[in-house]
Amino acid sequence: MSVAMEIARIAEVKLGDASPRLTTVAVEVGDDAGVEPWSLEFCLEAVFATPPFMGAKPQILRCAGDVLQVAWLEVDDGCPAD
Amino acid sequence: MAVRLIEVRERVMARNDEIAAQVRRLLAEHDIIAFNLVSSPGAGKTTLLERTLAELGEPLDIAVVTGDVQTQNDADRLAAHTTRIVSAVVTGGACHLDALQVLTALEAMDLARTRLLFIENVGNLVCPANWDLGEQEKIVFFSVTEGEDKPLKYPKMFQNAKHVVMTKEDLLRHVPFDLDLAVRNALQVNPTLEFFHLSALTGKGLGEWFDFLRQSVRPLMAA
Repeated sequence: MSVAMEIARIAEVKLGDASPRLTTVAVEVGDDAGVEPWSLEFCLEAVFATPPFMGAKPQILRCAGDVLQVAWLEVDDGCPAD
Repeated sequence: MAVRLIEVRERVMARNDEIAAQVRRLLAEHDIIAFNLVSSPGAGKTTLLERTLAELGEPLDIAVVTGDVQTQNDADRLAAHTTRIVSAVVTGGACHLDALQVLTALEAMDLARTRLLFIENVGNLVCPANWDLGEQEKIVFFSVTEGEDKPLKYPKMFQNAKHVVMTKEDLLRHVPFDLDLAVRNALQVNPTLEFFHLSALTGKGLGEWFDFLRQSVRPLMAA
């Protein structure tokens, strides 16, 4: 859960005051990261069940090594698409 | 709806690791050895610290940072055994200490009068394994009332440690715990682990533990 909360903190800092609606958080989890991907996904879903990121979805990207990083965020600016 | 991707590529532990490096520098500047004590809840960290503070608190200039999800009960227990500083961190729900909490606690300490720092982490074998606190080493406490397969279930904690303290060994005759199997399981996960076998209640093995602490501190005092 603490890892999930840190991921939410990173997302919050990255989005800043502009606060577009976060829709997806992609996290790379290495096989040797010491983190169970399904467990992290469960915790992220719990974190994203409350504001400010209510409704966001986690996307776990499995990879080799001990990587544990936030890869990218998908946001909805709330504006009509071009 | 205008959906766009924002590339981040940021390590989840990056911020904590930066602060842990700050803690490590601060401790090195003051020649302080720091041990991060980790275990599942109820493994006996506080009881061993009570015995340790009573015996070595003054001679080794020991300070303690204790972490608990709620209450400062552990800090109160430890403070009864020493005049040295015992700093309580109530994490308010978090299942581990982080480096910022330790750095903040250190800022309130007289580091010039501290040679040995114990960081008593929140009882939990999962999250504390991922969070560097700036310590010199993690020491895992493993009690004989737990399952022998704990190291296999929580390998990262044992991989990140150098020493394992087997606790509550006075209970071995009362519980179906295979001590040899537990040690083998730990060594399977981390073949370099070294073990202490003790009972803080009866005093068994405390001499070896105290010697280890004296030897950890002595080179710095000599310097």
